Amino acid sequence: MDHRRKRNAEGAGPLAQAGEVSRRAMVAGTVAMTAVAAVLPLADTAYAENAEGPDADMMAFLLLSEALTGVSRQTLAPELVESKNKSDILNSDPGVDPINIKDEYFAWIKANDATSSFGKLLQIAKDNHQSLANIVPSVNDSADDMKFLARSIVLLWYLGSWYKPDDLKNKIAKPQVVSPKAYTQGLVWQIAGAHPMGYSNLQFGYWSRDPRDPNRPALFDPAKT
Amino acid sequence: MADTCITCDVAIVGSGFAGSLIANQLSKKGIKVVILEAGPGIQPNINDAMARFYAASAKVPESPYPPDLADDPATVRVGRPTALTLSQSTWQNTSVAYLDQNTDDPNRKTRPFKSTYERLAGGTSHWMGLTPRLVPNDFQMKKAYGAGQPDFPFLDWPISYDTVSPWYEKAEAELGVSADADEQRFAGITFSTPNYAYPMPRIPPSLFDQRVGKAVAQLTEAETQFLGTAAPVTGLRVRSLPAARNSQPYRNRRACAGNTSCIPICPIQAKYDATITLNEATNNGVQLIDHAVASELLVENGSISGINYIKYDEKSGSRVDCAIKAKVYVVAANGIETPRLLLMSRNQIATGIANSSDMVGRNLMDHPQYLTWGLLPDPVFPYRGPLVTSAIGDLCDGAFRSQRAAFRISLGNEAWSATVGGTGGDPQTTTLDFINGLNASGLNKKDFTQLADNSALFGVDLTKTLGGLISRQFRIAFSVEQSPDPDNRVTLSSVKDALNLPRPRIAYDISDYTKRGIVTAFRMKELIFSKLGAIDFTKVAETDPGKFNVDGIEVPLTYGGAGHIMGTYRMGDDPKTSVVNSWLQSHDHPNLYLVGSGTFPSVGTANPTLTLSALALRTTDKIVDVLPSYQ
Repeated sequence: MDHRRKRNAEGAGPLAQAGEVSRRAMVAGTVAMTAVAAVLPLADTAYAENAEGPDADMMAFLLLSEALTGVSRQTLAPELVESKNKSDILNSDPGVDPINIKDEYFAWIKANDATSSFGKLLQIAKDNHQSLANIVPSVNDSADDMKFLARSIVLLWYLGSWYKPDDLKNKIAKPQVVSPKAYTQGLVWQIAGAHPMGYSNLQFGYWSRDPRDPNRPALFDPAKT
Repeated sequence: MADTCITCDVAIVGSGFAGSLIANQLSKKGIKVVILEAGPGIQPNINDAMARFYAASAKVPESPYPPDLADDPATVRVGRPTALTLSQSTWQNTSVAYLDQNTDDPNRKTRPFKSTYERLAGGTSHWMGLTPRLVPNDFQMKKAYGAGQPDFPFLDWPISYDTVSPWYEKAEAELGVSADADEQRFAGITFSTPNYAYPMPRIPPSLFDQRVGKAVAQLTEAETQFLGTAAPVTGLRVRSLPAARNSQPYRNRRACAGNTSCIPICPIQAKYDATITLNEATNNGVQLIDHAVASELLVENGSISGINYIKYDEKSGSRVDCAIKAKVYVVAANGIETPRLLLMSRNQIATGIANSSDMVGRNLMDHPQYLTWGLLPDPVFPYRGPLVTSAIGDLCDGAFRSQRAAFRISLGNEAWSATVGGTGGDPQTTTLDFINGLNASGLNKKDFTQLADNSALFGVDLTKTLGGLISRQFRIAFSVEQSPDPDNRVTLSSVKDALNLPRPRIAYDISDYTKRGIVTAFRMKELIFSKLGAIDFTKVAETDPGKFNVDGIEVPLTYGGAGHIMGTYRMGDDPKTSVVNSWLQSHDHPNLYLVGSGTFPSVGTANPTLTLSALALRTTDKIVDVLPSYQ
């Protein structure tokens, strides 16, 4: 596939997209200005090719993240509105939620992708957007740089911390918490039925009771393994 | 003496629990109080501290508070020991660690003192919030258990449990303690007020507490004989721990919401900390001078006549030498900084202030923690609720204390967050293991996982594996009584801080008596784990500078720090063997009071804050009584 093809939909350029985000931001009620910058299309990069639409890169990121983390894309992007046509999933609206951690992560990975592997991982998600189960096998078959970046991405979602792919390759643990907000959005806590230490929305005495709520399925139920 | 900047009735050094309680009580009587605080003052809110905590990659107790953890202590004006400076490569390196733990005695091997502390006003906010009382025999170890042992290391307190008991009640009201009085009647604990009720109902037990309660109920006399208790094992119970943690709204603070970060910071101040009393005190007119480091106590005709202090500016680095004059002086600067100040004050008396007994700085004690951790057969969902809700306290007293140290067993709700290696503890360590094919947690090489080195899990395999493991983690800590040893000692180092003041030098070890307590804790761990059906993951690192081996036990043992800094200016009736009397008044200088857990002649196994708060309130009454005589 030719990743160097120029973006062909002029109308969906940076300005139009920024306007789109602003409108959604108002709808959502709150969003940092940085969010606008965070979802600008990746023009002039190896992964600028996206004939599918203005949010195709973000949608590819969500599909990739869902496959790698095992957590549904609706949880990763709570305001996601999917395209009605399943085959057109890359044209969905990823939405803007009040926390919007996906944009922060996307921008962070883009800025810290030292081996130009991010675009290639997104391309795997795009190529498999109608066969999502193939994403993980394709990542496992990919080059080392891509595999270790994939691990960094999962750690980012799980812990809110950036483990450099190169450090992972060398079995070094030197994480950097991306932001205070990122720490509070770490998924591993929810996966374990808990909450980030120091960040809970629960009420007095909840710890005496089982966290599994039959009316609200948790991200994961240990009893079902 | 520098120019006198300030005069007042009572000058207090330090704004932790003891200092703020005394200041607040005195201010209610219209007494003019000034507090010198070495660290930054009370912040308008805790938002900055929360942001620092969230953003810290190592969420150690010091992480929410300045200064930065990586700073060379020689460049820091007001230094402090931190958890990150206790590794084998750093604990004796004074360009990393604030405390100088090098020994100059070739005949004495020392071990690390593993407790840390804060220096900012109300820095005691990173305490756990647990407030059990000492039990009656903790005050009279020698009398109760020292018969026929001339070398028995313990010294009795000059006051009894019954004397302190009414002050415990007052302290429980000030701090706002949640507990059930009937549940707390064990090991001789009684209450002075008939039908006494704690200020709030008890904190409910976590799922893990409940699980351990069931396991303990299965213990038999035969398998617990090694404990050497006279009491039947059927009486052993998991009890809710008294805590200065609101179980309902109390004094304008809300109920605990179980944020699971009592250490290092409660996001909603449902846990008492000294800033609460300090704010009340300053509203009553107490003057709190922050960025003010006391550097010398001055003496005139046997009494304290002033305190020299350095007022420094954080940003510009400028400093002004000041002094304060008062009628009565209180040093409330903790078990290491208080002796440091007394010893630094050597221009007039070469051995330091209040030190005719040569006991200042000696008998440094902690509650060595034997930390154990494992995996249960099914989930108890840790990382929820206050860090600790329950404990087994009943083993804190018994005839065995003539031979070995007692312990309390604290049940953790924070599971492996401070047990496994790696950066940040768990769940970070285990998560990284299964994503990057490592095994720092020990979980990646068991039967239920078959990963080759350096392989990674993705997707649902990952959520299932991590969810299934992390929800079954637990930890149990044994908090062991340490016997007093005059060679465990705080002195002055030749290395300085950025104000050119000598940093504290520490010599520390644990005695055979204490080690025997840890050995018994090890045996109790084996028994409890077997009743829980747990897989044991307890590991002592090869590089742990505190580790020791014991004949008959196949694994090395070790200890951690409890953050309980005690014993270094102990109280007693005899001025030859103690520094202060039972009113915490210096034997040498009648208008000087030294407060805090440094006054404890022996330390029992109860967390010290409630006791030091009760004693501070008692001292306040004494100061109110004697103040009119100092005109």
